[in-house]
Amino acid sequence: MARKRGIKALLLNWRVLLLILSLIGSIAAIAVNGLTYGIDIGGGVALIAKPDRPLSGEEVDGIASSLQNRLNTFGVKDITIESQRDPETGETLFVVKVANVTLDEAKQIKNLIESQGVLYMELDGVVFARGSDVTVYSSNYGLDLQRCPTCWYVGFTLSGDSLKKFNELKKGKAGWPVDIFLDPPVNSLIVVSDRVYSTMQGFLGEPVSGTPKPLVQRISEAFNITVVKYQNQSAGELVKNATSLGKDTIIVVDLPEELYTKVKNELLQSNLGVRVSYYSPQQGEDPKSFVARILHLYGPYVLSAEVVEGDSNSFQLTGSAATKEEALQEAKRIYSVLRSGSLPTKLGVISEEYISPTLGSSFKKQALMAGLGALIAVLLAIYFHYRRWKLAIPIASTSLFEVIIILGMASLIRWNLDLPSIAGIIAAIGTGVDQQIVITDELLGGSSAEGVSRRMGLLRRMARAFFVILASATTTIVAMSFLLFYFVGTLKGFAVTTILGVLIGILITRPAYAEIAKYLLSLE
Amino acid sequence: MAAKKPKGKASSDGEIMNQKQKRLSFLVSMEPKKMILYPFVVFVLALLLLAVHPPERGIDLRGGVVVTVYNVDASPDELASYLTDKTGTELHAERFHDSINGITGIRIYAPADANPDLISDLIKARYPNADITPRVVDPTFGKIAQRQGIKAVAYAFIGMAIVVFLFFRDPIPSGTIIFSAFSDMVIALAIMGLLGIKLTTATIAALLMLIGYTVDSNILLTTRLLRRKEDTVEDAYLSAVSTGFTMSTTTLGALIVLWLVSTSDVIDSITIVLIFGLLADFMNTWIFNAGVLRWYIVSPYRFSIKLRRGS
Repeated sequence: MARKRGIKALLLNWRVLLLILSLIGSIAAIAVNGLTYGIDIGGGVALIAKPDRPLSGEEVDGIASSLQNRLNTFGVKDITIESQRDPETGETLFVVKVANVTLDEAKQIKNLIESQGVLYMELDGVVFARGSDVTVYSSNYGLDLQRCPTCWYVGFTLSGDSLKKFNELKKGKAGWPVDIFLDPPVNSLIVVSDRVYSTMQGFLGEPVSGTPKPLVQRISEAFNITVVKYQNQSAGELVKNATSLGKDTIIVVDLPEELYTKVKNELLQSNLGVRVSYYSPQQGEDPKSFVARILHLYGPYVLSAEVVEGDSNSFQLTGSAATKEEALQEAKRIYSVLRSGSLPTKLGVISEEYISPTLGSSFKKQALMAGLGALIAVLLAIYFHYRRWKLAIPIASTSLFEVIIILGMASLIRWNLDLPSIAGIIAAIGTGVDQQIVITDELLGGSSAEGVSRRMGLLRRMARAFFVILASATTTIVAMSFLLFYFVGTLKGFAVTTILGVLIGILITRPAYAEIAKYLLSLE
Repeated sequence: MAAKKPKGKASSDGEIMNQKQKRLSFLVSMEPKKMILYPFVVFVLALLLLAVHPPERGIDLRGGVVVTVYNVDASPDELASYLTDKTGTELHAERFHDSINGITGIRIYAPADANPDLISDLIKARYPNADITPRVVDPTFGKIAQRQGIKAVAYAFIGMAIVVFLFFRDPIPSGTIIFSAFSDMVIALAIMGLLGIKLTTATIAALLMLIGYTVDSNILLTTRLLRRKEDTVEDAYLSAVSTGFTMSTTTLGALIVLWLVSTSDVIDSITIVLIFGLLADFMNTWIFNAGVLRWYIVSPYRFSIKLRRGS
């Protein structure tokens, strides 16, 4: 009877209740949000890029959004771009992480970050403007409700020679296509399948008079990009073809990956300095956007009659989308593409780490195994010391609960768990177990004391245990805070999970464990 | 209550504790002066060792290229000479093996100016099934990481020192705790140099963790000795050692399992540094710090700085 009431009282104790509620909340958070992993566990590429010179805040934002744009052409989904400023030197570093990419994609991403980004505007196979000729005033984009509810516009101006060139070029070309390229694969040989070739013959706009050149011809004249249909040429023949034309890149599109591998090996053997890359359409990607992705093409946009006849230096790109949100998003994208045509400075990749997705999943399994192994080791070590499961099981399970709550918090704040984060969790668990042992020993130390002073003694001993716990928790948090606020590098995750673990420890798990241990020991 | 449960459990519990304390009682019989001297000698030796043979910096602090290759059954030497031949840069390869997961791989180390793309392409051409994970660190980033690593450890240490001082407000015990933590780090670093474990961001994290663990045990000991008024100094010391012994062996057990199970370079180097750091901490806390405190408690020179009136 007394025992039953004891359990009820224990479960209703607010400290224990808080632990139970946090546990339920954490499991719910993990179930709803899931856990997100860092590149070093989930797989992907992490790159740290350093600009050539110190940047202003506005430039940093500009570079981040332009990088985002340029990476989007890869069709990869999980891209995070973070700028970190060293508070002492004022240097800015860009940390770019892209999840689930192949090694080749990772290489292309690196090249893309390091190339400064060139914007071209092209009409009728002639490049009439480059990034530096195009000026975009801040936030000169939005919805053009006068035309239609889901129409968007982006304004820009042309200056100097480019304006003159454009005014010459546009005569009599109402409805002709105007293409905008950001980092097109200049001077390359593109080998494509039949269906991609026929798509590339299109992109003709809505000409009012005359016949515009097809895309294949336009890019050939403007960028020296040669598109050939694949007709069972061997890898050797393709390489020969590229070298005789003086190309520096071969791009294999919508063909078996085997061909790409063969071309790559052929190039490795010959050491000609020609690069090769590979594209295949993604699920549900329509042929036109696939082609646009390969060429890094935005548009084509169509020359309106007013522009052809008018005489102005400011222009608008316009278009429409299915919904208002999409229209606004499209405008924003084009706006930042136009702006990113001239990156204010060159970026150099100074750190690069790639983990293949298959390896990543084996790391995940391993981390789980290591965690379970460590937990069992804790359980056995505690049993060995106290010789009773009654203490070993609560201590080990409190640690397990602590991990669950840390993970729950991590999923709540959407923290990416990387290896340093996991090291931080281990650190938190280590100190957690230590502190539970301090509590247990203080409780046990009193079991032989005189009955009279027992209660007084217990309170005093608990106070002493919590003094130790509070002191060590404070030191850890103070020490880790420096890491959190002063570090640009990769150890942030370590600090975050350690601090989380220590806070959860002193606020939730330690007080609850003390209650549980008091209850269990009082039964004897 | 007493009638319900046989008393045997509680007394056997006391017995286990007694046994443990008996086993550890050799520590009590040590003279405080010797307890201070031996760890201090170890500290000086570690310092000398560190001066002669400091740990090498890993590529993330120095810059360089490491290409890890999984799923390849090749001789590392042969692979290295093949790659050196093809790329024209001197590189070397090492095999690693994890019996628990059955994962085998080869790590290829190259200088910072090597071309990792070429290396991975060459491997891929020879072994199409290879899983390749290149890691490239530019020396400029290495410099940034190194500067920040040193700063992080220094700031963490200073922060720890300030908090410890505020908690105890007594220069001798707080100074001893701070010295123990410092000695732990010096010893851990010296052992790293000895075993060829490189200084990386991961091992810097381990040194930071060490600060946390050190402070835990030292605060426990100092609290028990200075605040436990109901026991003799010896009893308080013994009970603290027995708690500390449980703490350290539990943590060590967990770390050893972690070290055995993991194949991750990062986790492995963190755990190995912690294992040695904890062993050093065992000596520094339970022998050195205890010696200082035992000497201090009986010495006539006790003083403390009172920041609050009447405490």
